Amino acid sequence: MKYLRMRSTPWVMGIGFLALVLSTHSNAFANDPIPSLDVRFKTQPDGSVETTEVPDFQRHISPMLGRLGCNGRACHGSFQGQGGFMLSLFGYDFDVDHKALLDEKSPRVDLKSPLESLILTKPVDAELHDGGQRFKKNGWEYAVLRKWIEAGALKKPKGNSAEQKLTSLDVTPLEVSFDAAGKTQALRAIAVWEDGSQEDVTTLCRFFSSDTSIATIDENGIITGGERGDTHVVVAYDNAVVPVSVLRPSGPSGELKVQIANAKSDVDKFVLTKLDKLGIKPSELASDAEYCRRVSLDIAGTLPTASQVRNFLDDESPDKRSKFVESLLNSPGYAALWATFLCDITGNNDEQLRNFSYLGDSQSQHWYQWIYDRVSRNVPYDQIVEGIVTAVSREPGESYRDYCEAMTKIANDKTGKSFAERSHMMYYWARNNQKKAEERAISFAYAFCGVRIQCAQCHKHPFDQWSKKDFEQFERLFDGIQANQAKLLPDASPEFAKMIADLGISKSTKANQLSKEIKDKFKSGKYDKTIPFPEVFVESRTVTNKGIAADKKKKQPEPKKAPAARLLGGDFVDLSVVADPRQALMEWLRRKDNPYFAKAIVNRVWAHYFQAGIVNPPDDLNLANAPSNVELLDYLANGFIEHQYDLKWLHRTITNSETYQRSWQTNASNEMDRRNFSHALLRRLPAETAYDALRIALSSDKAALSICNLESERAMTLPGASVQSKKSNNKDLYALSVFGRSIRESNCDCDRTSDPSLLQTVFIRNDADVLRAMIDPKSSWLAQVAKEHDWALPNNVDKGMDKVAKPLPATMKDVNSDKDRVLADELDKKVRIFRTQLEKFTEGKAPDAKIRDAKSRLLLNEKRLAEQLALIAKKAEEKASAVNLEAANASKIDTNIAAIASDKMPSLIEEAYMRTLSRKPSSMESQRSQQAIAQAESPIQGFSDLLWVLINSKEFILNH
Amino acid sequence: MSNHKYCDGIKRRDFIRIGGITSGCLTLANYLQLAEAGQVKEGHATSGIFIDLNGGPSHIDTFDPKPDAPDGIRGDFKTIPTNVSGIQISEHLPKMAQTLDKYVIVRGVSHTLAAHRLGSEYVNTGSRPLASLEYPGYGAVVCKERAVENDIPPFVAIPSGGQRSGFLGIQYAPMNTAASPQQGRPFNVRGISLGAGVTVEQLDRRQNLLKDLDTKFASMEGQDQLLTGLDRFSDKAFSMLSSERARIAFDISKESPSFAAPFGPDPFEQSCLLAVRLIESGVRFVSLSVGGWDNHTDIFNNLSKKLLPKLDGGVSALLNGLEQKGLLSSTSVMVTGEFGRTPKINTRATLGGRDHYPRCMFMLMAGGKIRGGQVVGESDATGAGPANDAIKPDDVAASFYHNLGIDHKQEFQTETGRPITLVREGNIIPQLFA
Repeated sequence: MKYLRMRSTPWVMGIGFLALVLSTHSNAFANDPIPSLDVRFKTQPDGSVETTEVPDFQRHISPMLGRLGCNGRACHGSFQGQGGFMLSLFGYDFDVDHKALLDEKSPRVDLKSPLESLILTKPVDAELHDGGQRFKKNGWEYAVLRKWIEAGALKKPKGNSAEQKLTSLDVTPLEVSFDAAGKTQALRAIAVWEDGSQEDVTTLCRFFSSDTSIATIDENGIITGGERGDTHVVVAYDNAVVPVSVLRPSGPSGELKVQIANAKSDVDKFVLTKLDKLGIKPSELASDAEYCRRVSLDIAGTLPTASQVRNFLDDESPDKRSKFVESLLNSPGYAALWATFLCDITGNNDEQLRNFSYLGDSQSQHWYQWIYDRVSRNVPYDQIVEGIVTAVSREPGESYRDYCEAMTKIANDKTGKSFAERSHMMYYWARNNQKKAEERAISFAYAFCGVRIQCAQCHKHPFDQWSKKDFEQFERLFDGIQANQAKLLPDASPEFAKMIADLGISKSTKANQLSKEIKDKFKSGKYDKTIPFPEVFVESRTVTNKGIAADKKKKQPEPKKAPAARLLGGDFVDLSVVADPRQALMEWLRRKDNPYFAKAIVNRVWAHYFQAGIVNPPDDLNLANAPSNVELLDYLANGFIEHQYDLKWLHRTITNSETYQRSWQTNASNEMDRRNFSHALLRRLPAETAYDALRIALSSDKAALSICNLESERAMTLPGASVQSKKSNNKDLYALSVFGRSIRESNCDCDRTSDPSLLQTVFIRNDADVLRAMIDPKSSWLAQVAKEHDWALPNNVDKGMDKVAKPLPATMKDVNSDKDRVLADELDKKVRIFRTQLEKFTEGKAPDAKIRDAKSRLLLNEKRLAEQLALIAKKAEEKASAVNLEAANASKIDTNIAAIASDKMPSLIEEAYMRTLSRKPSSMESQRSQQAIAQAESPIQGFSDLLWVLINSKEFILNH
Repeated sequence: MSNHKYCDGIKRRDFIRIGGITSGCLTLANYLQLAEAGQVKEGHATSGIFIDLNGGPSHIDTFDPKPDAPDGIRGDFKTIPTNVSGIQISEHLPKMAQTLDKYVIVRGVSHTLAAHRLGSEYVNTGSRPLASLEYPGYGAVVCKERAVENDIPPFVAIPSGGQRSGFLGIQYAPMNTAASPQQGRPFNVRGISLGAGVTVEQLDRRQNLLKDLDTKFASMEGQDQLLTGLDRFSDKAFSMLSSERARIAFDISKESPSFAAPFGPDPFEQSCLLAVRLIESGVRFVSLSVGGWDNHTDIFNNLSKKLLPKLDGGVSALLNGLEQKGLLSSTSVMVTGEFGRTPKINTRATLGGRDHYPRCMFMLMAGGKIRGGQVVGESDATGAGPANDAIKPDDVAASFYHNLGIDHKQEFQTETGRPITLVREGNIIPQLFA
């Protein structure tokens, strides 16, 4: 890459250079590019233009309209147009735009009197044109448009019917470094066309800066340096998008030479090399305790137990970190976390599967288990994807009945695990929100390529390469995939009818009613008869074959053209010879030169570990969103492919690197860095990890271990996405939705959020689930401690709070005297009713008898209420004195315990720290904790305060 | 956090997205901005209530009666005069008839989405639903635009509803009460009041200990937005939990009996009472939803016995209650279903009903600068469509936002950076304010 630092004014050099080539510009095939339009069409002072050149619609007119902003969203690019003139949004739909300009009803181009053309008269006149003045009458833009119109306003140059193909857009320089703010650098862009012609198109390009605080770029391609850091500016012309790297180093480079030479891994080498360029020094390595916590949460989504931390800290072998990584990669938490991760990107959403099979929620369970099984066996990533992408419901050679019987057997396995034995995961194609080819195209590009092609569904994105045509051709690959109840393979119908008859359902039952009746038959959840299953398959394209057969006259019939189907940015696929285009898609994904497949997953996994992708956001691999470290991304992607898509290789490579092991603590040179991985970034635990971590932290040693080992259900094993899921209990889901678990709905990594919120804070501080889990007599650590020391557990847990928003007893502190309270409430209610009634009667001048009656009732109930309240008060008093007595007794015990515990106290405090923050407390922390516990009413109360504080600390909820 | 790209080719830095750190409705960014700028437009409503009549209520049998229409269309109900001369509504809405001076009936609202979910999304957002994008509901937008004080939730949905946060992100989603309040009973929402035997003293003690011990990242304080955000939420949670305000706001049993009396015992009517109470306590937006309006069969019994009495009692008491507390002029109120119902009464069952009909429906608007006591828009003689120009849900939405001083043409960014005009197609309906 060229590394230029511009000192002279760009225009002096630019114009000198252009003058040189002007004389030869008639030769379009010369090696030197022809100069830019503004030079060729320069208007002389007398208003004339010297050139006889005819501008070209695709090369000149269309990009110029784009650059002038005509086809913007707020202007004529709006889907309703503007002032009766509508262009394709952001251009590149040449047919549409040309047609719009020459539209018969309201032409913008007047071929008879070109100077009257609206496209000339409007933009020069701020009065006439709502969009203001776009160019001047003596400007080159005017001259270009005028010459084009005068020559007939053709869409394509004469004798050239094909769309012209841009070979490349050569931008110089490709890397810019500024040593101070305010310095500038001009870019130059040369279009190289398929016919070999080259043209300076700098004045026709669009430019933007990815981060305007670091570099700005104006419409002439002049970059100006800003704050320290690095970013890209992007140059776009025709369908080319070229990123230019802009650096504003924080300090001198070359200081990391030794570190680079001694780098422990290639990952480190590439990261350090980039940091060196930016004059950034990386942070030190994190401590053992921090590393232990971080890597366990990151690889396995699991908070390490106190004993795990202790073992790790006590281990003195030099390779203990990599040994720990191995043990984590083999833990069930690893499989659960990464199965969840793959469920996120493939969109495992139970809501969306409602109308597929008759199994309801267990389809999501199947989806999850199918992936979990493969992740835990470390099946290569490409094979996992193949089982999803090319999924059909039947195994090879399976009849419809075989298939249904196999699925019925699976349905009876409530864990859903036996579905993992099927070779395909068909549900991916069966989602309600993925029925149309276009939806499938978008979600495929999102999930497996990390590419967003949504924009191209309606228009070419100005800074992305995909055109509407690209989208349409890609979309064709997803035609004909069948996944619904109404459509089975032809051989299935008789068997289907038999199964329905066996179930005692009338064969005339249709659609929704049929579905309902089948579901009703298995209401019990026991599948004792064969369930008819819907199928996933690709419909064969008989239409095309007919087309060929009909054309008998020709000896070698030219195959009737199937709609052009094309891999994203790749080859065309002949749909007339391909039975299942998804095979072609899979082959394409696997091709070594596939620009997306490996990069997308590698980058997403990296983003998981570093909070920022090498390409960020990680689900937006497009030319304009350039990687912060090209070499690093290439290294990981290529290595991943060379290692046969071995996911564990990827995790190992990342987590063993020093780059991953760096501390969150920054130095003066790297504190601003958030994209070059010079230090760890603080990040909130993902929803499932956070919820499980809370439970592990609060549970007894035994219970915590069983959560870690997935022996008891945990958030990370919840299969579907919906909040209403019936399978799992409500309370988990409330917390998970508050913490932003992925909703798996919109083909965006942003379906998951790691932003903190007030409700999260409130949840950990005050939710009954958390408070109860903290002192649960059976499973909490505090109960374990209390038992070990013969302490009493606080018994004032409100057991009624686990249901959302259950109306609370009137007095929170008095929840035990429910019956008395209920009676009082009832009386209170009556009093209100009678009081209101009485008011009404009095106002409404009701008969005296009625008023009297109401009055007496009111009095009666008021009296009873007073009595009841007195009773409650008395009981409460009695109870309080009993409690006091108890407390008096307890305090005796407490004194004893305090004596015993004075030496145990520090170790218990250490235990509390280890099980929450995965480290030992400092002496200050230990002392402050002891002091707090000593001041509490009882040791257990004191420890519950401490535990509460620890789980509510930033250190707990942030991975660091 | 990342840079995002916009379709207009501009790529702006993260200053727009620092709102990523959020609480309920209140983003850190807009909290700080508002705290500094004190920006709230004068003379507009500052809070909102949205009442969602799920299922699509019949317009002809409620607020747009057609007494002169032929049999088979007219329906069973008679009409009654209201407290505004010349305006008649269904006989089963007597209290609403006596409150008409406080609200506007918008008639002849028209759209084309006859499915519940789509129609509902349309009227809850004011924009025709797109497959690729979910628009935010009114409440989410209002909360994004207007901060609230620390110890109260910004947006409450009773018990839940169609007001989703859409592309604005889950942080603007309402706090669902999940349950409906019951008459005279205390009521509360999960996590909002100090539970499980924890006392304020204990919380105070814990918070102090937390301040002393949570110092790991002290060296980074002020530099990292995440840390700043978490600290802020910690303070806010503490003030919410230790103050009684939020809890008391939800506790309708604390309302004076004479004020509560007009709200009948039905959970919907009690929800209306709660809504008023919440608005009074400083909650920015309340959405209510009440279902049962999908009356394909037996429509007249359903309406006259079940649905209309509670609608009549609840909404009239809500409007009167707001006025009584001096809140009507600062609260923008909207009542709507997802569509109207067919003028023709179907005869599929013995007791007929009406089917989905988006071409003609009604909405109610009140509060703020809305001039009550009028009908805006008109349907044709049989309620089959707008008589003149159709009013689109978009227009009503634009007016609703206008009433709140929010520019409906304002542009927001989706999570993926796509720029979206708040209400694409709507125009403010001037008559509402005239």
